[in-house]
Amino acid sequence: MSLRQSMSGLHTWGGLLPSWLLFVIFFAGSLACFDKELERWMRPALHQPGVASLTADQVRDWLHERAPNAHAWWMRPPSEREPFWWAGWEPEEGAEFQRFALDASSGEVLTDTVGGMFFFTLHYELHAGMLGMYIVAIAAMAMLIALVSGVIIHRRIFKDFFTLRPAANGQRAWLDAHNLFGVLGLPFHLLIAYTGLVIFVVFYMPAGLKVAYQDDFGALFRESTGYFERGEVGRPAGPPASLDTLLTDARQRWGGGEPGWISVHYPYDEAAVVDLRNWVSSRVTDFQWTLSYDASSGELLHEQKPYGAGYQTQSWLTGLHMAQFGGTPVRLLYLLLGLAGCAMLVGGLRVWLAKREARGGYGIGLVRALNGAVIGGLPLASLALLWGNRLLPAGLAERSRAEAMVFVGAWLLVALWAVRRQGSGRLGRDLYVVGAVLALGLPVLNALTSSQGHLGATLARGDWALAGIDLSLLGVGLLCALLGWRHRQPGEVHQAGRRESRRLAEEGV
Amino acid sequence: MTTRTALTRLDTAARVLAALFGGYAVVYAATAFLSVYLPLARADRVIFAGLACFVLYAGLFIYAFAARSAVRVWLVFAGLGVMLGLAAFLPSEFGVRP
Repeated sequence: MSLRQSMSGLHTWGGLLPSWLLFVIFFAGSLACFDKELERWMRPALHQPGVASLTADQVRDWLHERAPNAHAWWMRPPSEREPFWWAGWEPEEGAEFQRFALDASSGEVLTDTVGGMFFFTLHYELHAGMLGMYIVAIAAMAMLIALVSGVIIHRRIFKDFFTLRPAANGQRAWLDAHNLFGVLGLPFHLLIAYTGLVIFVVFYMPAGLKVAYQDDFGALFRESTGYFERGEVGRPAGPPASLDTLLTDARQRWGGGEPGWISVHYPYDEAAVVDLRNWVSSRVTDFQWTLSYDASSGELLHEQKPYGAGYQTQSWLTGLHMAQFGGTPVRLLYLLLGLAGCAMLVGGLRVWLAKREARGGYGIGLVRALNGAVIGGLPLASLALLWGNRLLPAGLAERSRAEAMVFVGAWLLVALWAVRRQGSGRLGRDLYVVGAVLALGLPVLNALTSSQGHLGATLARGDWALAGIDLSLLGVGLLCALLGWRHRQPGEVHQAGRRESRRLAEEGV
Repeated sequence: MTTRTALTRLDTAARVLAALFGGYAVVYAATAFLSVYLPLARADRVIFAGLACFVLYAGLFIYAFAARSAVRVWLVFAGLGVMLGLAAFLPSEFGVRP
């Protein structure tokens, strides 16, 4: 067997199996490029620009009232993309973080929502904790291998860049589409799969930690990041120093830099430590420049040094993945290339199907049903989540959980429908119509439920973060309507010309 | 014909297993090896070895399917894994130097 033939088998099957999982990761990751904008869209109270008057000391008092014995308090001041305070605590070391969004002027807790972070969490751990993280890592590794084997079987990588024959029969057209999006996005896809793995490398490959640190993760973390820590002493804490005074001091030391996350560790203890982290969005790597203060005397205990070569490299790669540098243009580019990845996956699945629909084979029904359930289901469920966000009453107990249930319920409905209707040739049209109704309805719903968030108001004041979401929804809705219209006749099952299939077979597809 | 199909299937299964598990084992040993012998400070050795491990895994995976036979794949993986693993885990003092 030639190299190209053996790689072709690896690419076909190693690519097919993780396809749906990768679609979920790619789609959620693409949306997560604008997670903070979505977060704001999902919190109508933030649609009107307000004045940030809440001080760090007030937020700390708020935390002290609710969680005096927490292992650590965390807070993050308002920024342009997140015009509100994040405040929360770790009940115990390593325990789940309790997170609240506070209005930046009144200090009231904002209405509970899963927010844009829902898509971010779906992207990196599928809402399944550590297990989800490992599953995502396996999918990313499969992607890396599919990309390398895909390049090896690709004979005319440059020529195919300019080749799209949409009028050709099913398999040829979908193969062109798969190649077009695959080649267009190749550098990005290689980068994003690799850098995604790099983020949690020590979890996936603990060999180095074992052999050089005897499995002491804390030691590796301290040595590589220069993170400062001092233990509790078991005596009660004295009156706290003002956080706002410490922030003024920190801004001076950072040369005018702005703070990101602020933490107070073991606030009940005499040895409590305040950590102030610098926040920079103009660099790929942000080493945070953490300043650690004694929580009651306000004495500076430690100033973090820039990372060493290894961790600097890792954070640079991590930073490339996270796209928190470079502002909207970079995020937009990542969004579009991420969607190109989705298109590549859909194209690949359609090639697999078209080839087997023409000459028969196992698993056609299963692949079709999964395509409908995942590729149709996830985008529709995401739209349904935004509907749920506005329609669920504000005072509902466990409101964010209810939103998540709307998402899951909508996805299950589409999945059942896809299984029932697979092979009927009408599934595509139905899904497009539902997508059009859901997407076109959202800007209308936004106008009805937010007096300052509708397109008239946001466009008038140049609030592109919010207007961009409504405009994108309109665009997606119109596209779905157009596709639904084009699919109004029940599609015939593709009958690929025999000669064409033979030619494709000769090319080793 | 059926024996040949069965043989092909066995060969494919052996390669898939070699790539998934044998490959991971070799990468584990290689990452440990680099974490011990790279001429860098301890934290940098561990991190750079980690950064290399995914590239190595992808390469071994491709090799598992490109090699002439599944037996060859298993022999190469076993040889590499044992050599790198022994070199990494035998000298216990050298690996933990700062």
